[in-house]
Amino acid sequence: MSLLTTGVSALNTSQTSLATAGHNISNVNTEGYSRQRVNQSTLPPNFQGANYVGSGVSVSSIERLYDEFLAIQVRTFTSQQAQHESFAKVAGQISTVLGSSASSLSGGLESFFNAANGVANDPTSIAARQVLLSEGESLVNRFRTLDNQLAQIDSQLDGQLAASIDEVNLIAKGIAGLNQAIIDLSPSSGGQPNDLLDQRDELINRLAEYVSVNTIEEDIGSVSVFIGTGQGLVIGTTQTDLKAITDLSTDPARLGIGYGSNSIDISAQISGGSVGGLLQVRGDVIDAARNELNALATAFIDNVNTIHQQGVTLDGSVGGNLFGPIPPSTLVADAGSIFVAVTDPRDVAAAFPASVTTSSNTSGTGTVEITSIDSSPPLTLPLFGAGAEIQFIYNDTTNEYAVTDGVNVTTITYDPAVDSGKTFNLTTPFVGLTVKLSGVPADADQFTIGNNTAVGDNRNALALANFRTEKILGSGTQSLADAYDILIADVASRTNRAEINKQAQQGLLGQLQARFDSISGVNLDEEAANLIRYQQAYQAASQIITVSNTIFNSLLSAL
Amino acid sequence: MRISTGQIFQQGLTAILNQQTALNKTQQQIATGQKLASPADDPVAAVQILNFEREINILGQYIGNGKAANTKLSIEEGVLKGVTNVLQRIRELAVQGLNDTNTGADRSAIAQEVLALNDQLLSFANTTDASGNYLFSGFNTDTQPYSSIGASYSGDEGQRNIQAGPDVLVETNDPGNAIFEAEFAQTLVTDNASPSSASINITATGVNNIISPAMTISFAAPDTLSVTDGTNTAVVTPYTSEQSLVLSDLNINFPDLTLQLEGGLADGDSYTLETQVTNKKTVFSTVNDFANALINDTVSSNDSPNNGDFLTNITTVLQTVIDTQAKIGSRINVIEQQEEISEELALRVQETLSDVQDLDYAEAISRFTLQSTALQAAQQTFVQVQGLTLFNYL
Repeated sequence: MSLLTTGVSALNTSQTSLATAGHNISNVNTEGYSRQRVNQSTLPPNFQGANYVGSGVSVSSIERLYDEFLAIQVRTFTSQQAQHESFAKVAGQISTVLGSSASSLSGGLESFFNAANGVANDPTSIAARQVLLSEGESLVNRFRTLDNQLAQIDSQLDGQLAASIDEVNLIAKGIAGLNQAIIDLSPSSGGQPNDLLDQRDELINRLAEYVSVNTIEEDIGSVSVFIGTGQGLVIGTTQTDLKAITDLSTDPARLGIGYGSNSIDISAQISGGSVGGLLQVRGDVIDAARNELNALATAFIDNVNTIHQQGVTLDGSVGGNLFGPIPPSTLVADAGSIFVAVTDPRDVAAAFPASVTTSSNTSGTGTVEITSIDSSPPLTLPLFGAGAEIQFIYNDTTNEYAVTDGVNVTTITYDPAVDSGKTFNLTTPFVGLTVKLSGVPADADQFTIGNNTAVGDNRNALALANFRTEKILGSGTQSLADAYDILIADVASRTNRAEINKQAQQGLLGQLQARFDSISGVNLDEEAANLIRYQQAYQAASQIITVSNTIFNSLLSAL
Repeated sequence: MRISTGQIFQQGLTAILNQQTALNKTQQQIATGQKLASPADDPVAAVQILNFEREINILGQYIGNGKAANTKLSIEEGVLKGVTNVLQRIRELAVQGLNDTNTGADRSAIAQEVLALNDQLLSFANTTDASGNYLFSGFNTDTQPYSSIGASYSGDEGQRNIQAGPDVLVETNDPGNAIFEAEFAQTLVTDNASPSSASINITATGVNNIISPAMTISFAAPDTLSVTDGTNTAVVTPYTSEQSLVLSDLNINFPDLTLQLEGGLADGDSYTLETQVTNKKTVFSTVNDFANALINDTVSSNDSPNNGDFLTNITTVLQTVIDTQAKIGSRINVIEQQEEISEELALRVQETLSDVQDLDYAEAISRFTLQSTALQAAQQTFVQVQGLTLFNYL
């Protein structure tokens, strides 16, 4: 009867092989499926007389074709690629917002300073002053819009993080459940529950898209998953939830990632994956851009106000703050709260409160020109009390201007040959002024700096317009517009770098995936060939049974 | 290497998607005409573009400032042209009025015209622009610089600068006191108790009419006239009454004056001449005083103001006006040159900007063609490869 048994074993084995080929074909498009292979081995032979006679075939195992090492690498690169991708996505959004000509600060600053030039060209024109205020308003709007957009992106990011945390918890739960199922199934039989292993690996891969993971396989068949710097997300069959918590250490408060029953903030420990990318872009780009924008707003408000306060309005009063709010000098203004503080165009301070009168018996070509007035502490008008005007009298023997305001006396050394065009500061006890001396004054030439209330004076408007190119930031190397350019360049190059990294990782990931697939992926042609092969084997096994039947019948007929 | 069916599918699909992305980017570039869709595409170029745009904007503002200044200066120049014409007419009338052949009535008639011209001069000085701002009152544009013929200057010395270029400031106005006021010279003739009935007659012949230090002219019988300024002395012998002497011919240090003693000369006749230069006086007062002198027929050498001095003074004012016109001319020149420079520069920057920013259409379109061919190829191969399966033969 051994032939029949052998035939049946062959039939069974071929059936299993055909079933596995069919299983492979049906799962050709299943995400994370690893092809399976039937390993066959001979059955123990029977000892008959002097020889061992083979007794057929059996299925020794159904193997999952899977390379653990490649799988880990794929996971690592998936995390990195996802991190760069989510970083580039958000940073790209920000660089587009900062760089777009409709919302960019660059255009707003230009228009504002152009309007200041307009006032300088026609200081008595209410229309020109109104344009300055309107342009100031539109600049303020750009500041606010940018701040608002950044805040919006920030809160969108919080939303994405919260959704990711939910998803991570769900996946972790799935992994823990599969661990349980695998433990339950593994010891009962010799074989492994291949499809469950595939499902678990696929879940771990999906987790890697969100955050970098480390895995440790336990002997009993479960896999423990760790994130960050070793926080266990799944240990055996237990899963620890991540929670969205409010991080109060920043202003405004934002979302943090809490771990464990005490919800310890582990945001700083998380790296890799889309969550890592979002956390990184939040720190490196959003925070940096918001801080820089606030710094720009502060510098703009401070400096423009200082210039404006040294001037006088059309109605002859001291210029107030042109922009608000007024931060104490150590604090930073919020770019989102900036506003235009002047509403009446007449209150634009285009004039200086002081002017120079040349004495009528002056015979040289020397001139004294006021270039700026110290507006801190705030000016009080009239700048010079009666008889307290500042007089400059030149002495061409000593090359000095004798300067006096009736009480205090000082001298300014001025050699026309070398000093012409230079500026000199007058400080306390004098009224704080910067004057530019030029030309060749004759002996005893006299200039008087006194009060000015003239409406046609444009010197302060000109000073405001010139602030456009003044390098006040970055230790005197950048104008406001330069600093803004640098901000754009910084965000843009970070985006660019992330984009390039993403592409590089994508390429590497593609290659790894190809190698992984070349081992684990189903090839339909191969399975078709297998079908033919096992079908033939099955047919042959059937023939063994037919033959066994025939010889049994011939034995019977012989009786 | 073994290839799985999923891989074949995925690779074919990825190739198609990549080609589509590239094609879409090129299409976007062609549609906008710009190389960059976002600063991140090329951070360096993005910042360059911003810089260039700002540069063009500032240059445009400089050009605009220059045009505004040019308008103001042209108006001022036009007014000063009128002032020059009026002053020249006054000067002509003065020369005519000083002519000895005139009777008192003639002079009075001339004086009327001079007074009318003086009013015109005053209205020129009080010119306002379209917005009602006074041109010649410095920063005090809401104050009339000269409220009346005799009034002093009510403006200030303010000169509004406009920025016509980086570090190029151009004045767009001139205060009235620098145009309509000039040093005022007055020659005093002292008859040093001469016993005779002779009188002295002085006329200006050249530029240097100022008698300083004082000169003494003395006659000694029978016919010797000596002229001295304390340092240089010239002696003319013989000198007869009404003989004209050009002082600068006698000694180069003497002023450009023609001197004439009239009437019966006697020994010991002596005159002291001295020009006093006083501080600035408005041209309106100067002209007004002269017109009054014409009316009163007090324009001889011994009267004050005397004939030569008026011509000197009116010439000084005229010179000041002409100098101012020259200054305006040179400012307009500076503005126009600066405008040319700015325009040239803006054009260059625009070209560079266009290089950085604008798309090379020829290149982009051929790239587009290439990419669409590649996409078609990817699509065709995908379909063909997908058709290759052993199951077809089972």
